[in-house]
Amino acid sequence: MKKTVKGIWWAQIKAVIRLEMKKTFFAKRGLWIYLVAALPVLLFIAYAIATSSQQNRSASVARQGVKRLAYQDLLAVKPGMTSEEVMAILGKPPITFHWTEDRPTQDGTNGSIRVNHEDFHYSDGQNDLFVGLANGKVESLNIRQGINLGQDSIMFAAVFQFFFLRLAVFFGCLGIFMNLFRGEILDRSLHFYFLAPMRREVLMAGKFLAGLLATCTIFGLSEVLQTIAFVWHFPPGVRDYYLYHNHGLEYAAIYLGVTLLACVGYGAFFLVAGMMFRNPILPAAAILIWEGINPFLPSVLRQFSVIYYLKSFCPVDIPASPGTPAVFALLISNSNPVPAATAILGILIVALIALYVSSVQVRRMEINYTTE
Amino acid sequence: MNDRIVFEDVSKFYGEILGVNRINLSIPAGITSLVGPNGSGKTTLMNLMTGLVRPTRGRIQVLDYKTDDPENLFKILGYSTQFDAFPKGLTGFQFVYSYLRLAGRTSESAEQMAWRAIERVNLVDAARRNVAGYSKGMRQRIRLAQALAHDPKVVVLDEPLNGLDPLARSEMIALFRSTAAQGCYVIISSHILHEVDVISDQVILLSNGYVVAEGPIHNVRSEIQEHPTQILIRCSQPRELAAKMFEYPQTIEVSIHKDEGGLLLKTRDADRFYLTLNEMAVNGIDIESIAPADDDVLSVYEYLIGNEEAVR
Repeated sequence: MKKTVKGIWWAQIKAVIRLEMKKTFFAKRGLWIYLVAALPVLLFIAYAIATSSQQNRSASVARQGVKRLAYQDLLAVKPGMTSEEVMAILGKPPITFHWTEDRPTQDGTNGSIRVNHEDFHYSDGQNDLFVGLANGKVESLNIRQGINLGQDSIMFAAVFQFFFLRLAVFFGCLGIFMNLFRGEILDRSLHFYFLAPMRREVLMAGKFLAGLLATCTIFGLSEVLQTIAFVWHFPPGVRDYYLYHNHGLEYAAIYLGVTLLACVGYGAFFLVAGMMFRNPILPAAAILIWEGINPFLPSVLRQFSVIYYLKSFCPVDIPASPGTPAVFALLISNSNPVPAATAILGILIVALIALYVSSVQVRRMEINYTTE
Repeated sequence: MNDRIVFEDVSKFYGEILGVNRINLSIPAGITSLVGPNGSGKTTLMNLMTGLVRPTRGRIQVLDYKTDDPENLFKILGYSTQFDAFPKGLTGFQFVYSYLRLAGRTSESAEQMAWRAIERVNLVDAARRNVAGYSKGMRQRIRLAQALAHDPKVVVLDEPLNGLDPLARSEMIALFRSTAAQGCYVIISSHILHEVDVISDQVILLSNGYVVAEGPIHNVRSEIQEHPTQILIRCSQPRELAAKMFEYPQTIEVSIHKDEGGLLLKTRDADRFYLTLNEMAVNGIDIESIAPADDDVLSVYEYLIGNEEAVR
């Protein structure tokens, strides 16, 4: 049966993808991309291990206590209370620590007074209360929350936005997409493709899709594993609540979608950069700076950036702590979010513009390895 | 339908460096050899012909196709380049097979055609091995297989005999001849002048980016009037024949062959000389054989470009 022109193009694209897969997934020089993708997963695994260990300790402290405490009980202790009052509410502390301090007097003389300190450690099984007493009165209170979904969500959002999206996906796409053509020019093997009866644009499309498949697989998988590692340490009840009643699954899907869109946007950028520049450092630095200064750009220029659209999707806002410098606050804030449809369309248009430039560039390309 | 490979006033500059300049060629079917020293422009001419580089000026057409139309051009053209790099991790078979898949062939058809091409270059035993472990000659042959795999009408081969042992060379030469005999255009570049001489229907001599001569070897030789033709005559009485030769004005120089079994003669008018020689043979001098001693590419090349470059 005779193939149509589009049928042949599709067959050729698949042939290019098959050839590129080995290179994009198993190239030795691309191993660092796996490392970069694995870093946030490792971070969340480490966090989960640390939190689980802390929860085990809290449970152990709670078991040692004379009373079964609730979180509200822990909040009932106030500064200035005596140790007896504290013990009346929370019972005898399971863990105590005594120490003394010679504190300078505040009357201007060089003398000092001895202060007897007692530290009480209580737990309701998940949250810990550390009570600091000085001469029998509560001087300091510190509650360490075992699981704080709101805080953990913000931490996940911060890691996603400021490490995973802006650095890991960005540099991963750089490593894979810039090498699609540049790597073969350096290996002196690009002519193999150019000698096939194939439109150069079809070759470019095949290579782009191969890069996309690789980055989406690597970073999409990383994002899924991050989510699993993130919810792993939650007790089953909390996990179910977070996933099914507190937008957990929805957020996970959005983060995955943003990751895939980032691969499309950055991939298209770096494909064209790999064709136009011999040294990837310069365009990478330029794009990184362009993406970094996006919040400070006029609104028209902001639209020619991938992060501008991606930020709009991110479901959890990262609050700026009081006292954060204005520059950082602006970086964190997402003051003018773009509607989802506009954001998707925006990224696709930015990617299509980059792919159009790539197709013009690939048509003009010559095999002249000696000048490389 | 166009039946020639045509270069019209083609020039190619790499920045300020000249690749080829003002090339006008019309290459017919058969075996055409590009001959010239390193840097003379052979590979540039081949890369221009296959669209791997674009001309700075001029127009190139390969039969009915322009060189900026790879989708159609490479349906009828196969190019075995001099670039000795391959996509990583491929076996010989995968290299040819992948090329055919890139051409849009189905898996079955690509497999069949790949094995046929590999058989043609005699590399079946090594086809399942990684190309990275091939010898230079094997890499040369697998590139040939790739160029021939899709049965192209035009085959462009850059130094195709490089790295091949004598047996493989004669096999490849037979392959080029059989390909040309099917009406194909076989364009070969080579430094091994005597082999090119034996197999070529026409030659294109290049020097410093210019075509200095083109056409069938014999015609090219005839055009070089300032260089006398050398003719080796085998006979039983070389001294008598030499004495008679000097009676004719076309004769420039005669020397007795070191084995005393013939003489080497230089003349500016080879055609008239052959007529004279026929008369002598009729008049009783026993002539065993007559053969041109410098009607080959090497001699022509030496005359045109100079001995120094020809030897390089």
